Amino acid sequence: MFRSTSGTRRVLLALCALLLSLVFVLPKQSRTLLQAIGKPLADIVALPLDVLSSADHNAGEIWGRYVALRQVHEENRQLRREIEFLRGQAADLREMAAANQRLGELLRFQANAPAQTVAARVIGRDATNWYHGVVLDKGERDGIQAEMGVMTLTGAVGRVVKTRASSSVVLLITDPNNAVTSLIQRTRDEGIIEGTFGGTVRMKYIPLLSTVRVGDPVVTSGLTGGFPKGVPVGTITNIQKDEGELFQTADVQPEVDFTKLEEVLVVTVPRRVEEPPAALPAEKKKP
Amino acid sequence: MKPLLYVGLVLGVVPIQTTVLDHLSVAGVRPDLCLVAACLIGFFGGLADGVLMGVLLGFEQDLFSAGDAWINLTTKAVIGLSAGVVGRYVARATPVTVFPMVLGLSVCSGIAFLFAGAGGQGTLAAVRSVLLPQAMFDTAVGMGLYWILAERFRKDDSLV
Repeated sequence: MFRSTSGTRRVLLALCALLLSLVFVLPKQSRTLLQAIGKPLADIVALPLDVLSSADHNAGEIWGRYVALRQVHEENRQLRREIEFLRGQAADLREMAAANQRLGELLRFQANAPAQTVAARVIGRDATNWYHGVVLDKGERDGIQAEMGVMTLTGAVGRVVKTRASSSVVLLITDPNNAVTSLIQRTRDEGIIEGTFGGTVRMKYIPLLSTVRVGDPVVTSGLTGGFPKGVPVGTITNIQKDEGELFQTADVQPEVDFTKLEEVLVVTVPRRVEEPPAALPAEKKKP
Repeated sequence: MKPLLYVGLVLGVVPIQTTVLDHLSVAGVRPDLCLVAACLIGFFGGLADGVLMGVLLGFEQDLFSAGDAWINLTTKAVIGLSAGVVGRYVARATPVTVFPMVLGLSVCSGIAFLFAGAGGQGTLAAVRSVLLPQAMFDTAVGMGLYWILAERFRKDDSLV
């Protein structure tokens, strides 16, 4: 195979070898280099990704209708087709109404949220099975940067870990590599929310003397993680208090259903910046 | 033909992996199409093609993953290289020959991810819930794709 390699291929191979050796020899510097090289490629790939995301959504609807139509009885085919058509239209309208309602709620929430946010659409899942992440259709152009918090109407979702011009990657709070400082709403005890490989969430480092109990809501503390204070995270479902341990640990049922994420809000400024008061008109000079 | 196929793979595999493949997931685990692609390209197209496509697909996968910006790049390059070496020494390949190759490379790739800290503290849970199911899934998809491609590309020798 090497005998048949052309000059161009040899140059490309040499570049690959150089890149790989750079990754091992200078990991931090090469990361910056890779990010710089990757931005234009990510923008190109974002286009088919967006198209596929829309096509996938439409194909799901078409498949749903096909399955429904297969059950239509032969005798009333014409009539039932009409019904199915109307049902389809009704389903479309319901879907549009639901989307409108969701977006309306999102806008209302955005207007009253205790932070400045940017609304974004989820266009894909993490490209590997090793991380719990989602891809958003907004990026640096929309003011999104790494480490910003991501939430929905119901609660905290995760934090932005990678950004490109028109897309960004979010690490969900269910990922074992994610940590968000939170507090138990009733007792005000602080802890750290971490994901598990099973897709659940645990709260670690709860003080031993805390009177935490099952059913207590957990909210973000606002100290780190790019979230404002008080964003719901979940509800405590189980508490582990082992002898000899310095802290308690609790299982938390997240508020957000991560399998049904469609639209999210990226927290650009965790605390709302009050608009400065309008400048007072200059006093008229007395004659 | 071959450059077109490769451009198509570069533009298509990762978007498919992040969107459509979610419907094929079993217990949240999907086959790693980039791994299977690097493996088959190395096996059919040879060592050089395997490394080049492994680097490109891995790099692209890193762009749309929450992990470090080098892990997929290096693992996929090594997978392309290894599959290329295997392809050079296997005279009569069958789907059964592909089985240990894809399985072994997928498991090795998973171990690399675990060493890179992808599993957090739950290494055993990660092996049970991601590494092994993904290796089986990758192997099944790899064998299926091999079965489809083998006749075409082995006969006209267009990728070798």
